[in-house]
Amino acid sequence: MKNFQIRSKIVNGVAVLYLKGHLDAHQVARFEKEIVRLIRDSNFKIVINGQELNYITSAGMGIIMGYIDEVREKGGDIKLCSLGERVYETFDLVGFTEIYDFVTDEQVAIEKFSHVPSQS
Amino acid sequence: MFPPNPDFSITILSQTQLLKMVVELTRHITTLFNFSAPEAQKISLAIDEAVTNVIKHSYSNNSDQKITIEYFLAPGGVKIRIFYQGLPPEIIDEEVNIGKMIKKKKKGGLGVKLMKTIMDSVEYKTINGKNCCEMIKWQKTI
Repeated sequence: MKNFQIRSKIVNGVAVLYLKGHLDAHQVARFEKEIVRLIRDSNFKIVINGQELNYITSAGMGIIMGYIDEVREKGGDIKLCSLGERVYETFDLVGFTEIYDFVTDEQVAIEKFSHVPSQS
Repeated sequence: MFPPNPDFSITILSQTQLLKMVVELTRHITTLFNFSAPEAQKISLAIDEAVTNVIKHSYSNNSDQKITIEYFLAPGGVKIRIFYQGLPPEIIDEEVNIGKMIKKKKKGGLGVKLMKTIMDSVEYKTINGKNCCEMIKWQKTI
């Protein structure tokens, strides 16, 4: 089994990224490539579903930090949902939980975008 | 003070594919040292960040360099030393400002913050001509 897996789908105009497994500096290029692809395709409303993510380091969090300004400038956002307790705690350790939108459920995260006008 | 000899040590090549093994090893060792599972996971993350910094910044992602990690059982805690050659990391003492980093579209700079938040002590120094990252974590007293 691969240590880290990533897949995505579009739901009601929102790109949902599903992260699974162990996201560290060795795996982070695949995560960045997917974020870059979404932005290049004008998908600025992004939900990261971390239900099956069991580990993240600063490398993975850095990708979210590095692209969120561009996404927000274009009327979108990166929201995070369904994180396990320990992964959420890692985000909290660096103060991300005060800056980013964390919700418990994917559907809630998608619905929150219905109030954001699209610029694409 | 660190004891003269570690209770356990491992030397690895500077390859990011080995990070997961280091994390699992550290989690196992710190659990044996009576840390709770959540605390062991956090200490493992701090070691992951420190070793990643060495690979990326001190060794510029060269994969044939060596990194030695030493674990010392201390009364009520664990002390860990990471030895490496190459350039010492650039450590900025000022508080990390996430808002500013977002505006600058920075992707790096969170690792040392994580290390300092998790561990009770993080110190970079030179010991016998080798670069060393020295970290200490004490167990919480109830």
